[in-house]
Amino acid sequence: MELNKQSINRDEVIIVAEHLVKTFPGPVLALDDFSIRVKRGEVLVVIGPSGSGKSTLLRCLNGLEAIDSGTIVIDAIPLDHHESNRLAIRREVGMVFQSFNLFPHLSVLENINLAQCLVRKKSKPEATRTTRELLAKVGLGEKIDSYPDELSGGQQQRVAIARALALRPKVMLFDEATSALDPEMIGEVLEVMRTLAEEGMTMVVVTHEMGFAREVSDRVVLMEAGRLVEEGATEQFFLQPVQERTREFLRQIL
Amino acid sequence: MLSRHRSFHWLDAVLLALLFGAAGFVAYRITVHLNYTWNWSVLPQFLFRYDRETDRWVANYLIQGLLTTVRLTLWGSVLALILGLCMALARTSRSLYWRLVARTYIELMRNLPPLVIVFLFYFFLADQLMPLLHLDTLATRVSPFWKQWLPLVLAPPEQLSAFCSALLTLAVFESAYVAEILRAGIESIGRPQRDAATALGLTHSQSLRHIILPQAVRRVLPPLAGQGISLIKDSAIVSVISIQELTYQGTQLMASTYLTIEVWLTIAALYFLLTFPCSLAVDRLDRRLNRKR
Repeated sequence: MELNKQSINRDEVIIVAEHLVKTFPGPVLALDDFSIRVKRGEVLVVIGPSGSGKSTLLRCLNGLEAIDSGTIVIDAIPLDHHESNRLAIRREVGMVFQSFNLFPHLSVLENINLAQCLVRKKSKPEATRTTRELLAKVGLGEKIDSYPDELSGGQQQRVAIARALALRPKVMLFDEATSALDPEMIGEVLEVMRTLAEEGMTMVVVTHEMGFAREVSDRVVLMEAGRLVEEGATEQFFLQPVQERTREFLRQIL
Repeated sequence: MLSRHRSFHWLDAVLLALLFGAAGFVAYRITVHLNYTWNWSVLPQFLFRYDRETDRWVANYLIQGLLTTVRLTLWGSVLALILGLCMALARTSRSLYWRLVARTYIELMRNLPPLVIVFLFYFFLADQLMPLLHLDTLATRVSPFWKQWLPLVLAPPEQLSAFCSALLTLAVFESAYVAEILRAGIESIGRPQRDAATALGLTHSQSLRHIILPQAVRRVLPPLAGQGISLIKDSAIVSVISIQELTYQGTQLMASTYLTIEVWLTIAALYFLLTFPCSLAVDRLDRRLNRKR
């Protein structure tokens, strides 16, 4: 796996987000001149107190929320008002939600096939082959014909990860993927995420799992009130944080 | 859910006795004090009559009226569903223009008495639109195949124009209610489902067609079916524009036989025969959908 990571050009930047501003009616300033860059193959963990804008950041990166100002470029595609660019970015960026958001009226197979057929215009047998492969990868090969409400939370989230991977994205966004899970199911989901990271997937992960963050991430960002408090390489971030606010936050959650 | 008491209380007995007493009193007033000669014996011939030429039993006024009601309801439902779906989509559209168009249409239709709409539309449609479509001449020139089937599927050629305007009228005002039911369904599918579809790169129309609508329609199937039953009853309105459906046939029959109560009781029974099985079916559908969830 070390090899795998090194074989990718580590210096190539895949996500460039600059001077992002996002306000919600209220008005609430969710992102306040926030900038971030993510390199290809990098695992970036975003932490921060609730309401600090972490989720909003992820939702802006794939255009689920429109930014008020700033620029986002992913894999050289600018996220602008052109619908075709938005769709192109969403093809390259997979997203996993806190509440899974599987489609309850579709089986596991159909959930994962859907976007392959509609977005990548694959034939059904071709899509099904990919789906089987992905389900085997998340350890749910035998659940292919189940419906979401027949699965446990952990299984649903693993299906959701497989669904997000079905378009062969270059970047994966995880929005508190384990926060809605019972404690005994968190491990199985983190395991899948760990495997992805080892395979060299570029990941932006919002999480409260500090153990996972320390073990898997390359870099950590602390957000508060829509602003960047501190960022640093994982080891340095946890062992020698520069900001007093970071030390305080880490004391609270560790 | 509350458990249902099946035990029989003494108060229930008192209530039942009161009910029977009231019913008995009404029956007594009708038989003794109402100056009315009952004559049920002539009614069956208005349901079916024996045709000597073809040597067969054929449907007479009332059953013909009933069949027209069924045709009106079936085609009306289909049209109302299509129109209602378009309006519901416009109502939930992201474009302000389409939302305004749909809102205006729905509010107008829901806030006018159906009878007024029927008159307005009938005189406009029958006078202006139908001649434009040349339905009358079209109906006289149909092939023998259609000559045979047209009365069964829609209406006899000479009534086609009137039938179609009645159909459109019913569909137009019923579609406003269908639209509101569908809108409620669409809006009940929450943000997370839309987000998931969007994040997967689906376009707006793809997510509508594959994610939102299938779930929304499943959710509102019972009220939608209920609206269909309403249409059976509401179709009586077009009797005022001389469409020969059940209620119209009833008024005609009453005028020629003076058997007021017999005729209307028969009409009521025929409507009930049509609507009650539908209601039971909707009930079962409702329970099955609830169990699944």
